Amino acid sequence: MDDRPVGRTDADLEALLRDVAAEDLELLDPPDDVWAEIESAMQAADNTRDTPQDAGVVPLKPRRRAARRVVLGVAAVLILVAVALSVTLTRAEPAQVIATATLSYDPESFDPLGARARADVELRVREQKHSVAIVGASLPSPEVGADLEVWLIRPDGDGNVADLISLGVVDPADPGTLDIPADYDPATYSVVDISVEPRDGDTGHSGRSILRGPLRDT
Amino acid sequence: MQRPAREPTESVEKAFARGGERALEAAYRQHGSLVFTFCRRTLDEARARDVTQEVFISAWKSRERYDPAKGSLAGWLVAITRNRIIDNVRAERRHSDRRATDDPGEVPVEAQVERIGDSLMIAAALRCLSDRTRQVVKLHYFDDLTHRQIAERMSLPLGTVKSDLRRGLARIRHQLESAYG
Repeated sequence: MDDRPVGRTDADLEALLRDVAAEDLELLDPPDDVWAEIESAMQAADNTRDTPQDAGVVPLKPRRRAARRVVLGVAAVLILVAVALSVTLTRAEPAQVIATATLSYDPESFDPLGARARADVELRVREQKHSVAIVGASLPSPEVGADLEVWLIRPDGDGNVADLISLGVVDPADPGTLDIPADYDPATYSVVDISVEPRDGDTGHSGRSILRGPLRDT
Repeated sequence: MQRPAREPTESVEKAFARGGERALEAAYRQHGSLVFTFCRRTLDEARARDVTQEVFISAWKSRERYDPAKGSLAGWLVAITRNRIIDNVRAERRHSDRRATDDPGEVPVEAQVERIGDSLMIAAALRCLSDRTRQVVKLHYFDDLTHRQIAERMSLPLGTVKSDLRRGLARIRHQLESAYG
Protein backbone atom coordinates (compact mmCIF):
# COMPACT_ATOMS: atom_id res chain seq x y z
CA MET A 1 0.00 0.00 0.00
CA ASP A 2 2.57 2.54 0.99
CA ASP A 3 6.18 2.77 1.92
CA ARG A 4 6.30 2.51 5.62
CA PRO A 5 8.95 0.55 7.40
CA VAL A 6 7.91 -2.94 8.35
CA GLY A 7 8.98 -4.98 11.29
CA ARG A 8 7.48 -3.43 14.36
CA THR A 9 9.30 -4.19 17.54
CA ASP A 10 7.59 -6.08 20.30
CA ALA A 11 7.64 -2.88 22.32
CA ASP A 12 5.64 -1.14 19.56
CA LEU A 13 3.13 -3.96 19.44
CA GLU A 14 2.78 -4.11 23.19
CA ALA A 15 2.25 -0.34 23.34
CA LEU A 16 -0.47 -0.66 20.71
CA LEU A 17 -2.10 -3.49 22.61
CA ARG A 18 -2.17 -1.53 25.83
CA ASP A 19 -3.67 1.37 23.90
CA VAL A 20 -6.65 -0.59 22.58
CA ALA A 21 -9.88 0.96 23.83
CA ALA A 22 -12.82 -1.19 24.79
CA GLU A 23 -14.86 0.38 21.99
CA ASP A 24 -12.31 -0.91 19.46
CA LEU A 25 -13.37 -4.44 20.27
CA GLU A 26 -16.98 -3.73 19.31
CA LEU A 27 -17.67 -3.89 15.61
CA LEU A 28 -20.64 -2.25 13.91
CA ASP A 29 -22.53 -4.08 11.21
CA PRO A 30 -22.86 -2.15 7.98
CA PRO A 31 -26.43 -1.26 6.97
CA ASP A 32 -28.11 -4.11 5.13
CA ASP A 33 -28.24 -2.41 1.75
CA VAL A 34 -24.50 -1.72 1.52
CA TRP A 35 -23.87 -5.17 0.12
CA ALA A 36 -26.68 -4.76 -2.43
CA GLU A 37 -25.06 -1.56 -3.62
CA ILE A 38 -21.68 -3.24 -3.96
CA GLU A 39 -23.32 -5.92 -6.09
CA SER A 40 -25.01 -3.28 -8.24
CA ALA A 41 -21.78 -1.41 -8.75
CA MET A 42 -19.96 -4.59 -9.67
CA GLN A 43 -22.69 -5.38 -12.13
CA ALA A 44 -22.43 -1.93 -13.67
CA ALA A 45 -18.68 -2.35 -14.03
CA ASP A 46 -19.10 -5.76 -15.61
CA ASN A 47 -21.69 -4.48 -18.06
CA THR A 48 -19.41 -1.63 -19.04
CA ARG A 49 -16.68 -4.11 -19.74
CA ASP A 50 -19.17 -5.91 -21.94
CA THR A 51 -18.36 -9.26 -20.45
CA PRO A 52 -20.98 -11.94 -19.96
CA GLN A 53 -22.45 -11.86 -16.50
CA ASP A 54 -23.78 -14.99 -14.94
CA ALA A 55 -24.20 -13.79 -11.41
CA GLY A 56 -27.95 -13.53 -11.71
CA VAL A 57 -30.59 -10.90 -12.06
CA VAL A 58 -30.16 -7.36 -10.81
CA PRO A 59 -32.66 -7.00 -8.01
CA LEU A 60 -35.28 -4.32 -8.49
CA LYS A 61 -34.60 -1.31 -6.33
CA PRO A 62 -36.61 1.73 -5.32
CA ARG A 63 -36.31 4.63 -7.78
CA ARG A 64 -34.37 6.83 -5.46
CA ARG A 65 -31.48 4.41 -5.62
CA ALA A 66 -31.09 4.84 -9.37
CA ALA A 67 -29.03 8.02 -9.33
CA ARG A 68 -26.82 6.64 -6.65
CA ARG A 69 -26.29 3.49 -8.63
CA VAL A 70 -25.24 5.45 -11.71
CA VAL A 71 -22.73 7.38 -9.63
CA LEU A 72 -21.47 4.16 -8.12
CA GLY A 73 -21.29 2.60 -11.56
CA VAL A 74 -19.17 5.46 -12.84
CA ALA A 75 -17.03 5.30 -9.72
CA ALA A 76 -16.60 1.58 -10.17
CA VAL A 77 -15.47 2.07 -13.77
CA LEU A 78 -12.97 4.70 -12.69
CA ILE A 79 -11.68 2.41 -9.97
CA LEU A 80 -11.50 -0.40 -12.48
CA VAL A 81 -9.41 1.71 -14.87
CA ALA A 82 -7.11 2.86 -12.06
CA VAL A 83 -6.69 -0.66 -10.76
CA ALA A 84 -6.15 -2.09 -14.23
CA LEU A 85 -3.42 0.49 -14.78
CA SER A 86 -1.76 -0.22 -11.48
CA VAL A 87 -1.98 -3.96 -11.99
CA THR A 88 -0.41 -3.55 -15.42
CA LEU A 89 2.36 -1.41 -13.99
CA THR A 90 2.93 -3.83 -11.13
CA ARG A 91 3.05 -6.76 -13.45
CA ALA A 92 5.47 -5.03 -15.74
CA GLU A 93 8.23 -5.35 -13.20
CA PRO A 94 8.36 -8.61 -11.29
CA ALA A 95 10.78 -8.89 -8.38
CA GLN A 96 14.31 -9.62 -9.51
CA VAL A 97 16.99 -11.35 -7.51
CA ILE A 98 20.07 -9.14 -7.68
CA ALA A 99 22.24 -10.75 -5.02
CA THR A 100 22.31 -13.83 -2.84
CA ALA A 101 23.99 -14.84 0.39
CA THR A 102 24.64 -18.15 2.06
CA LEU A 103 24.60 -17.56 5.78
CA SER A 104 26.92 -19.55 7.98
CA TYR A 105 27.58 -20.19 11.64
CA ASP A 106 30.79 -19.08 13.34
CA PRO A 107 31.50 -21.47 16.23
CA GLU A 108 34.05 -19.02 17.65
CA SER A 109 31.75 -16.12 18.32
CA PHE A 110 28.13 -17.06 17.61
CA ASP A 111 25.37 -18.30 19.88
CA PRO A 112 25.35 -22.12 20.13
CA LEU A 113 21.69 -22.10 19.07
CA GLY A 114 22.92 -21.50 15.54
CA ALA A 115 25.19 -24.53 15.40
CA ARG A 116 22.90 -26.49 13.10
CA ALA A 117 21.08 -23.57 11.47
CA ARG A 118 21.35 -22.72 7.84
CA ALA A 119 19.75 -20.18 5.52
CA ASP A 120 20.16 -18.73 2.08
CA VAL A 121 19.10 -15.20 1.36
CA GLU A 122 17.99 -13.49 -1.82
CA LEU A 123 18.18 -9.74 -2.24
CA ARG A 124 15.22 -8.82 -4.39
CA VAL A 125 14.29 -5.56 -6.04
CA ARG A 126 10.93 -4.55 -7.39
CA GLU A 127 9.87 -1.06 -8.33
CA GLN A 128 13.09 0.21 -6.79
CA LYS A 129 12.21 -1.32 -3.44
CA HIS A 130 14.57 -3.84 -1.96
CA SER A 131 13.66 -6.80 0.15
CA VAL A 132 15.44 -9.73 1.69
CA ALA A 133 13.90 -13.16 1.21
CA ILE A 134 15.06 -15.97 3.45
CA VAL A 135 14.90 -19.14 1.43
CA GLY A 136 15.90 -22.71 2.05
CA ALA A 137 16.24 -22.02 5.74
CA SER A 138 16.40 -24.32 8.71
CA LEU A 139 16.20 -22.05 11.69
CA PRO A 140 16.06 -22.98 15.37
CA SER A 141 13.34 -21.71 17.68
CA PRO A 142 14.81 -19.50 20.37
CA GLU A 143 13.93 -19.82 24.01
CA VAL A 144 10.56 -18.57 25.27
CA GLY A 145 10.64 -14.80 25.51
CA ALA A 146 13.03 -14.36 22.61
CA ASP A 147 12.78 -14.01 18.85
CA LEU A 148 14.96 -14.41 15.81
CA GLU A 149 15.72 -11.03 14.27
CA VAL A 150 17.21 -10.25 10.87
CA TRP A 151 19.73 -7.43 10.45
CA LEU A 152 21.65 -5.79 7.66
CA ILE A 153 25.20 -4.85 8.60
CA ARG A 154 27.32 -2.15 6.96
CA PRO A 155 30.87 -3.45 7.31
CA ASP A 156 33.86 -1.11 7.54
CA GLY A 157 37.07 -1.61 5.56
CA ASP A 158 38.27 -4.26 8.01
CA GLY A 159 35.07 -6.25 7.92
CA ASN A 160 33.94 -5.03 11.33
CA VAL A 161 30.43 -3.74 11.99
CA ALA A 162 30.23 -0.03 11.15
CA ASP A 163 26.45 0.17 11.39
CA LEU A 164 23.45 -2.11 11.34
CA ILE A 165 19.69 -1.95 10.89
CA SER A 166 16.99 -4.32 11.97
CA LEU A 167 14.71 -5.66 9.25
CA GLY A 168 12.40 -7.28 11.77
CA VAL A 169 11.78 -10.52 13.60
CA VAL A 170 10.99 -13.72 11.76
CA ASP A 171 9.11 -16.89 12.46
CA PRO A 172 11.74 -19.68 12.45
CA ALA A 173 9.30 -22.00 10.68
CA ASP A 174 8.42 -19.45 8.01
CA PRO A 175 10.94 -16.61 7.86
CA GLY A 176 9.52 -15.11 4.65
CA THR A 177 10.50 -11.78 3.15
CA LEU A 178 11.47 -8.54 4.86
CA ASP A 179 11.53 -5.12 3.22
CA ILE A 180 14.60 -2.94 3.41
CA PRO A 181 13.79 0.67 4.37
CA ALA A 182 14.12 2.96 1.35
CA ASP A 183 16.93 5.06 2.79
CA TYR A 184 19.33 2.13 3.23
CA ASP A 185 21.42 0.98 0.30
CA PRO A 186 21.96 -2.78 0.31
CA ALA A 187 25.15 -2.19 -1.66
CA THR A 188 26.70 -0.82 1.54
CA TYR A 189 24.50 -2.62 4.07
CA SER A 190 25.70 -5.80 2.49
CA VAL A 191 25.91 -8.40 5.25
CA VAL A 192 22.87 -10.31 6.50
CA ASP A 193 22.83 -11.37 10.14
CA ILE A 194 20.28 -13.36 12.13
CA SER A 195 20.37 -13.10 15.91
CA VAL A 196 18.50 -14.23 19.00
CA GLU A 197 16.84 -11.22 20.61
CA PRO A 198 15.34 -11.53 24.09
CA ARG A 199 12.23 -9.42 24.55
CA ASP A 200 13.92 -7.17 27.05
CA GLY A 201 12.91 -3.84 25.55
CA ASP A 202 16.43 -3.27 24.20
CA THR A 203 16.09 -2.67 20.46
CA GLY A 204 19.84 -3.00 19.81
CA HIS A 205 21.56 -6.18 18.65
CA SER A 206 21.93 -8.68 21.50
CA GLY A 207 25.33 -9.88 20.31
CA ARG A 208 23.86 -13.39 20.01
CA SER A 209 24.21 -13.96 16.28
CA ILE A 210 23.38 -17.40 14.93
CA LEU A 211 24.06 -16.93 11.20
CA ARG A 212 25.73 -14.34 9.03
CA GLY A 213 26.86 -13.95 5.42
CA PRO A 214 27.69 -11.33 2.80
CA LEU A 215 25.41 -10.61 -0.15
CA ARG A 216 27.07 -11.26 -3.49
CA ASP A 217 25.74 -9.96 -6.78
CA THR A 218 24.19 -12.57 -9.02
CA MET B 1 -21.10 -8.69 15.17
CA GLN B 2 -20.83 -12.01 16.93
CA ARG B 3 -18.88 -14.58 15.03
CA PRO B 4 -16.92 -17.69 15.86
CA ALA B 5 -13.62 -16.84 17.45
CA ARG B 6 -11.58 -19.41 15.64
CA GLU B 7 -10.38 -18.63 12.20
CA PRO B 8 -12.44 -19.81 9.31
CA THR B 9 -10.51 -17.24 7.26
CA GLU B 10 -8.06 -19.39 5.37
CA SER B 11 -10.34 -20.62 2.64
CA VAL B 12 -11.98 -17.22 2.16
CA GLU B 13 -8.57 -15.63 1.74
CA LYS B 14 -7.46 -18.14 -0.85
CA ALA B 15 -10.76 -18.05 -2.68
CA PHE B 16 -10.56 -14.26 -2.75
CA ALA B 17 -7.04 -14.26 -4.12
CA ARG B 18 -7.97 -16.51 -7.02
CA GLY B 19 -11.23 -14.69 -7.64
CA GLY B 20 -13.47 -17.57 -6.72
CA GLU B 21 -17.19 -17.36 -7.23
CA ARG B 22 -18.93 -15.59 -4.34
CA ALA B 23 -15.55 -14.96 -2.70
CA LEU B 24 -16.22 -11.22 -2.61
CA GLU B 25 -19.47 -11.80 -0.80
CA ALA B 26 -17.76 -14.18 1.62
CA ALA B 27 -15.05 -11.59 2.25
CA TYR B 28 -17.72 -8.95 2.82
CA ARG B 29 -19.63 -11.18 5.24
CA GLN B 30 -16.42 -11.83 7.15
CA HIS B 31 -14.81 -8.40 7.12
CA GLY B 32 -17.61 -5.96 6.23
CA SER B 33 -18.11 -4.99 9.85
CA LEU B 34 -14.37 -4.41 10.35
CA VAL B 35 -14.19 -2.11 7.31
CA PHE B 36 -17.46 -0.34 8.10
CA THR B 37 -16.53 0.17 11.74
CA PHE B 38 -13.21 1.71 10.70
CA CYS B 39 -15.07 4.05 8.32
CA ARG B 40 -17.77 4.91 10.81
CA ARG B 41 -15.26 5.75 13.53
CA THR B 42 -13.68 8.33 11.25
CA LEU B 43 -16.38 9.46 8.80
CA ASP B 44 -20.05 10.33 8.88
CA GLU B 45 -22.65 7.66 8.11
CA ALA B 46 -23.11 8.48 4.42
CA ARG B 47 -19.42 8.60 3.65
CA ALA B 48 -18.77 5.53 5.78
CA ARG B 49 -21.21 3.62 3.58
CA ASP B 50 -19.65 4.92 0.39
CA VAL B 51 -16.10 4.18 1.47
CA THR B 52 -17.07 0.68 2.62
CA GLN B 53 -18.43 0.01 -0.85
CA GLU B 54 -15.41 1.50 -2.56
CA VAL B 55 -13.03 -0.57 -0.46
CA PHE B 56 -14.65 -3.88 -1.37
CA ILE B 57 -15.01 -3.00 -5.04
CA SER B 58 -11.44 -1.79 -5.24
CA ALA B 59 -10.13 -4.80 -3.33
CA TRP B 60 -11.97 -7.18 -5.61
CA LYS B 61 -10.69 -5.50 -8.74
CA SER B 62 -7.13 -5.61 -7.50
CA ARG B 63 -7.33 -9.02 -5.87
CA GLU B 64 -4.38 -10.24 -7.94
CA ARG B 65 -2.21 -8.05 -5.76
CA TYR B 66 -3.37 -9.80 -2.63
CA ASP B 67 -1.10 -12.65 -1.58
CA PRO B 68 -2.52 -14.79 1.26
CA ALA B 69 1.01 -15.97 2.02
CA LYS B 70 2.04 -12.46 2.92
CA GLY B 71 -0.76 -11.47 5.24
CA SER B 72 -4.35 -11.62 6.24
CA LEU B 73 -7.18 -10.43 4.04
CA ALA B 74 -8.40 -8.36 7.00
CA GLY B 75 -5.06 -6.57 7.10
CA TRP B 76 -5.08 -5.92 3.39
CA LEU B 77 -8.63 -4.56 3.50
CA VAL B 78 -7.84 -2.34 6.46
CA ALA B 79 -4.83 -0.89 4.63
CA ILE B 80 -7.03 -0.03 1.65
CA THR B 81 -9.66 1.41 3.98
CA ARG B 82 -7.11 3.52 5.82
CA ASN B 83 -5.88 5.08 2.58
CA ARG B 84 -9.41 5.81 1.42
CA ILE B 85 -10.36 7.35 4.72
CA ILE B 86 -7.29 9.57 4.71
CA ASP B 87 -8.09 10.65 1.15
CA ASN B 88 -11.61 11.51 2.26
CA VAL B 89 -10.46 13.37 5.33
CA ARG B 90 -7.96 15.38 3.31
CA ALA B 91 -10.54 16.22 0.68
CA GLU B 92 -12.96 17.28 3.37
CA ARG B 93 -10.34 19.40 5.03
CA ARG B 94 -9.49 21.16 1.77
CA HIS B 95 -13.14 21.78 1.24
CA SER B 96 -13.75 23.20 4.70
CA ASP B 97 -10.58 25.32 4.47
CA ARG B 98 -11.86 26.86 1.28
CA ARG B 99 -15.22 27.62 2.77
CA ALA B 100 -13.62 28.63 6.03
CA THR B 101 -16.65 27.37 7.87
CA ASP B 102 -17.45 24.54 10.25
CA ASP B 103 -14.95 23.21 12.68
CA PRO B 104 -12.12 21.25 11.16
CA GLY B 105 -11.42 20.02 14.67
CA GLU B 106 -14.11 17.44 14.05
CA VAL B 107 -12.09 15.86 11.27
CA PRO B 108 -9.72 13.23 12.59
CA VAL B 109 -6.10 13.69 11.70
CA GLU B 110 -4.12 11.00 9.91
CA ALA B 111 -2.49 9.86 13.12
CA GLN B 112 -5.89 9.21 14.65
CA VAL B 113 -6.95 7.26 11.59
CA GLU B 114 -3.80 5.18 11.90
CA ARG B 115 -4.41 4.56 15.57
CA ILE B 116 -7.99 3.48 15.04
CA GLY B 117 -6.91 1.21 12.19
CA ASP B 118 -4.22 -0.33 14.38
CA SER B 119 -6.66 -0.91 17.21
CA LEU B 120 -9.25 -2.49 14.97
CA MET B 121 -6.60 -4.73 13.44
CA ILE B 122 -5.62 -5.83 16.90
CA ALA B 123 -9.28 -6.49 17.67
CA ALA B 124 -9.51 -8.55 14.47
CA ALA B 125 -6.33 -10.43 15.38
CA LEU B 126 -7.66 -11.15 18.86
CA ARG B 127 -10.79 -12.68 17.39
CA CYS B 128 -8.60 -15.12 15.45
CA LEU B 129 -6.87 -16.43 18.56
CA SER B 130 -8.03 -19.44 20.49
CA ASP B 131 -10.24 -18.59 23.44
CA ARG B 132 -7.46 -19.36 25.91
CA THR B 133 -4.76 -17.38 24.13
CA ARG B 134 -7.10 -14.44 23.69
CA GLN B 135 -7.94 -14.49 27.37
CA VAL B 136 -4.25 -14.61 28.32
CA VAL B 137 -3.43 -11.70 25.99
CA LYS B 138 -6.30 -9.61 27.33
CA LEU B 139 -5.43 -10.27 30.97
CA HIS B 140 -1.81 -9.30 30.36
CA TYR B 141 -2.23 -6.24 28.18
CA PHE B 142 -5.65 -4.91 29.11
CA ASP B 143 -5.78 -5.82 32.79
CA ASP B 144 -2.02 -5.57 33.42
CA LEU B 145 -1.76 -8.93 35.17
CA THR B 146 1.70 -10.49 35.43
CA HIS B 147 2.47 -13.85 33.84
CA ARG B 148 2.30 -15.45 37.28
CA GLN B 149 -1.04 -13.86 38.15
CA ILE B 150 -2.51 -15.07 34.85
CA ALA B 151 -1.14 -18.57 35.47
CA GLU B 152 -2.82 -18.64 38.86
CA ARG B 153 -6.10 -17.18 37.70
CA MET B 154 -6.41 -19.51 34.72
CA SER B 155 -4.81 -22.53 36.38
CA LEU B 156 -2.20 -22.80 33.65
CA PRO B 157 1.51 -23.59 33.84
CA LEU B 158 3.62 -20.42 33.70
CA GLY B 159 5.30 -21.65 30.52
CA THR B 160 1.93 -22.01 28.81
CA VAL B 161 1.04 -18.42 29.66
CA LYS B 162 4.32 -17.24 28.19
CA SER B 163 3.99 -19.28 25.03
CA ASP B 164 0.36 -18.16 24.62
CA LEU B 165 1.49 -14.55 24.87
CA ARG B 166 4.25 -15.17 22.36
CA ARG B 167 1.85 -16.84 19.95
CA GLY B 168 -0.71 -14.10 20.40
CA LEU B 169 1.83 -11.39 19.75
CA ALA B 170 3.11 -13.20 16.65
CA ARG B 171 -0.43 -13.46 15.33
CA ILE B 172 -1.08 -9.78 15.91
CA ARG B 173 2.20 -8.94 14.24
CA HIS B 174 1.14 -10.99 11.24
CA GLN B 175 -2.12 -9.07 11.03
CA LEU B 176 -0.50 -5.69 11.39
CA GLU B 177 2.29 -6.38 8.94
CA SER B 178 -0.18 -7.28 6.29
CA ALA B 179 -1.84 -3.95 6.94
CA TYR B 180 1.39 -2.11 6.30
CA GLY B 181 3.17 -4.37 3.84
